[in-house]
Amino acid sequence: MGSAALKVQGGKLLKARVETSGGRIASLKLTGDFFLHPEETLAEIETALTNHQLNESAITATISSLLQKNNAQLIGAAPEDFAKVIMEASK
Amino acid sequence: MNWRVIPLETCNAATAMALDEACGEYVKAGGPQTIRFWRWKPSAVSIGCFQSLEEEVDLAACKRLGVDFVRRRTGGGAVYHDYEGEITYSITAPEHFFGKDITASYKLICGWLVDAFAQLGIAAEFKPINDIITGGKKISGNAQTRRGGVLLQHGTILYDVNVRKMFSVLRVSKEKISDKMIAAAEERVTSVKKMSPATYEQTYDALVAAFTKGKETGIGKWTDAELLRAKELAETKYKTKEWNFQR
Repeated sequence: MGSAALKVQGGKLLKARVETSGGRIASLKLTGDFFLHPEETLAEIETALTNHQLNESAITATISSLLQKNNAQLIGAAPEDFAKVIMEASK
Repeated sequence: MNWRVIPLETCNAATAMALDEACGEYVKAGGPQTIRFWRWKPSAVSIGCFQSLEEEVDLAACKRLGVDFVRRRTGGGAVYHDYEGEITYSITAPEHFFGKDITASYKLICGWLVDAFAQLGIAAEFKPINDIITGGKKISGNAQTRRGGVLLQHGTILYDVNVRKMFSVLRVSKEKISDKMIAAAEERVTSVKKMSPATYEQTYDALVAAFTKGKETGIGKWTDAELLRAKELAETKYKTKEWNFQR
């Protein structure tokens, strides 16, 4: 299990705990002081990224499309920031 | 419809959060938009809904100091709510009162706080995303959620900070401190008492005046149904390990 933290410039603090297996995300927990409306979207993001390929742009795309699908608003961070901290935690 | 104002009351952490949620359900069902004020007894730490309790809070220090803890249903960071040193408010209203733009609604509600600070002779300003600062230091933190067409914003006004106690129960991340280029965590926050001769009561009066200005308001109280629902939510949600330790 690896972990990483990222302070978004002008935004919030993101943390990821990631377990990997064969180039994929085996399990993932995202935490931080960001805002996400509706809040349940975070659990959906974690589910969508479980067994997901470890690829920064693909992770960004998955998060972005889930936010769009849920009409969700992420404040204090961007999908790219989540992807970055997940990749960092999986090193 | 008039705004209902629930005057300053004292709550434990789970009940405070449960009342906000019960109030939201009531407003959703057509109840009056509500402004409430409270203080936390015992003093408590609240964490944002996406935070890890164990990462943010020194639970052994809480136990030693008799400090309670609870996970909020709003995002944002961990806050130490001292019984003597802090006033907490919440606003619960139909979302359309404030519009879809979340940052704009923070700015609007935080503007009421800025007005209250001005009454106390403190020049404060809204600092996006959700803080109010004076002289570069935080004096108020705020957090919002929207659910079922209802907006909840709650926030804290620091009246008198015991920074030693605050930072003995909160674990402050190195990343956050280095970003603000402030070595000592103690340098990040200030309080009404440091900036103004106002008493706790005068601070509360300024808040009530600023929050109710230009609105039709009436002093109100919780309905029996809200109190019953809050009791249920406190027991089945906010006091449970499943909720507080979920991340």
